[in-house]
Amino acid sequence: MINGNVKPAEKFVVPIGPQHPALKEPGHFELTIDGETVTAASARLGYAHRGIEKGAESRSYVQTLYMMERVCGICSHIHGTAFSLVVEKLAGVEAPPRAQAIRVLVAELERIHSHLLWVGVGAHEAGFDALFMYSWRDREVVMDILEALTGNRVNYSANVLGGVKCDVTPEAAETILKGVDFLEERARQYLEVVQSDAMFLRRTRGVGTMTREEALTLGVVGPTARASGVTQDLRKDAPYAAYPDFPINVITETAGDLEARFIVRVKETIESCRIIREVLANLPEGELTTRMPRRVKEGEAIVRLEAPRGEVFYYVQSDGTDTAKRVKVRTPTIANMASVLHLSVGHQLADVPMILAGIDPCFSCNDRSVRLTSAHGNDVWTWEKLRQHGIEAYR
Amino acid sequence: MAERPNSGPLQTIIDEITAWSRINSPWAVHFNAGSCNGCDIEILATLTPRYDVERFGIKLEGSPRHADVLVCTGPVTRQARERLVRIYEQMPEPKFVVAVGACALTGGVFQGCYGVCDGVDKVIPVDLYIPGCPPRPEAIIDGFVKLLTALKQAKEGQAA
Amino acid sequence: MSTEERIAEARARLAPFTDAVEEAAPDRLNAPLPVEQLLPAAAALIEGQWSYLTTITGTDLGPEAGEFEVLYHFSSGALVTTVRVRIPRDEPAVPSVCGLIPAASFYERELMEMFGIVVEGTPNPDRLFLPDDWPVGVYPLRKDFDPSEATVVIEKDPAND
Repeated sequence: MINGNVKPAEKFVVPIGPQHPALKEPGHFELTIDGETVTAASARLGYAHRGIEKGAESRSYVQTLYMMERVCGICSHIHGTAFSLVVEKLAGVEAPPRAQAIRVLVAELERIHSHLLWVGVGAHEAGFDALFMYSWRDREVVMDILEALTGNRVNYSANVLGGVKCDVTPEAAETILKGVDFLEERARQYLEVVQSDAMFLRRTRGVGTMTREEALTLGVVGPTARASGVTQDLRKDAPYAAYPDFPINVITETAGDLEARFIVRVKETIESCRIIREVLANLPEGELTTRMPRRVKEGEAIVRLEAPRGEVFYYVQSDGTDTAKRVKVRTPTIANMASVLHLSVGHQLADVPMILAGIDPCFSCNDRSVRLTSAHGNDVWTWEKLRQHGIEAYR
Repeated sequence: MAERPNSGPLQTIIDEITAWSRINSPWAVHFNAGSCNGCDIEILATLTPRYDVERFGIKLEGSPRHADVLVCTGPVTRQARERLVRIYEQMPEPKFVVAVGACALTGGVFQGCYGVCDGVDKVIPVDLYIPGCPPRPEAIIDGFVKLLTALKQAKEGQAA
Repeated sequence: MSTEERIAEARARLAPFTDAVEEAAPDRLNAPLPVEQLLPAAAALIEGQWSYLTTITGTDLGPEAGEFEVLYHFSSGALVTTVRVRIPRDEPAVPSVCGLIPAASFYERELMEMFGIVVEGTPNPDRLFLPDDWPVGVYPLRKDFDPSEATVVIEKDPAND
């Protein structure tokens, strides 16, 4: 059952700990188990629900740009770029070539940081804290580059409506190239580790396997889909910004298991290094911005970009004012979440943390809780407990 | 620094012994109240070798039941609010709350959105505010050091 | 398939259900159709996995217009084909597409809680994003949403002030 819900009538909550009896413990995930096997799974999101789409209806386009950059602090640039591109489309404006190239440059740097972050988090979920420390230490190189380029380590705000606000000097280019050489070397080492470490492979090889057919039916996107052999990457299928000038290689694997998801992301890191070198070697001259009207004529536009986690979709309606009439954002994590529920069913409870980690979720709450329903009743676990359970099971 | 009301002279002494003995190495619990993760990844970065916040004696703990300091990010979404309050209540006295990032201070760019409470101190008392969007790891550590210094001074003031 | 080829393909697949397909942009088609044609049109578009449902966007045309417009975005390569369904604001209902597209459940849950649109037959009607304490019957993405109807009054413990 793909959406295998726990029907409300079968649920009763037994709160754990010193809580007020009337307070229901809200679970992010609700799993029904039979022994160790998950028989049904459903999700209740909302911990990070801020009301952004509505907020955009009472903010100017410029203000909304700053808000959209903070939909996700890990892939801030892709959201800023998406919103800039969609508003530029509505206004009938094209950012200058140098700006579009710099957008790609920052996007690929962001992809490296996001994938390295995920390698660390994924390793942590499996109990491999050494790999977490190494990958996050290496990630600091990317953070330094981004900070030198844009002024901030996180939420770099490179975009303005109509272009970018940071330029690449020859000195900056030198620094980036050196950094990228280092990162590529490190990525190749991680590739070896994830494919050869016996303990790691026990948690990843053959675990959480999703066939190509399933990936397509479930509408999975990004590296999660590409690990199952789905050759889909918006940078190639629908190139935006400067990607038409800097074509990419789509990285896929066929095994569709967790190991494949690690391999795809590490290989994408290496591919991002290549793209960055290409961009720097062929950076167009010219302006960084083009004039944008404050009021945007009536219309609709859609953009789809390849965020580190997969397809991000923006739909905007304008009405001739300086404020959008409707802004719709669909993040890749929402698209991939259904696959987590589907895959969990039939797997062991101990595999759930890694299955979730495999889609590289916006780990908005390190405080996710899981409500477990079994023949014996109900229980609520913290994510930490579930993670430990997984680590113990594979000892 | 907010005063914490204690309930009885014996409790006061017990609290002091427990708390002040741990001031040199407080245990911190981290809670994300709807943050975009920007602040969270910088907080996590403080644990990594480059910043190594543990050399200042701060340890990130799992359970609120053992924590002295609650480190909170995010504008406090309505869904997270209950959980935040519950975690705060589970922490033993004396306890301190650190709000990290513009959202935790005022709601940040999300101020006024229907899903948020506009900051941590709208929900629980806050002792230290670390501004930034996000604050870099050095700024976060600097904030912690200020907190520890203030606590040490209060401890010395108490002993005097 | 080039984008032009995809446009032709989309038109062919939609021909039995609407003759109002419009090229809004080189990579964007609009296909308004009546709600009864939604399911067969969706089935035609995803047949053979030619396209996939990227998301469902609810829009409120406003209390005066008296309608919602629900947009179903189907993506194939660079082309997005948006099936557009108008429904009355006072009795808003669409059939669930989950029978065809199980992963649509999240999008339908969002549509229901944000607009109060009834999605008939959707497998999970629970709230997805809105908090547990959000008042029933208050739909934030409607144009006439009044934030004061959903304001949380937080009483701080005076002892902690």
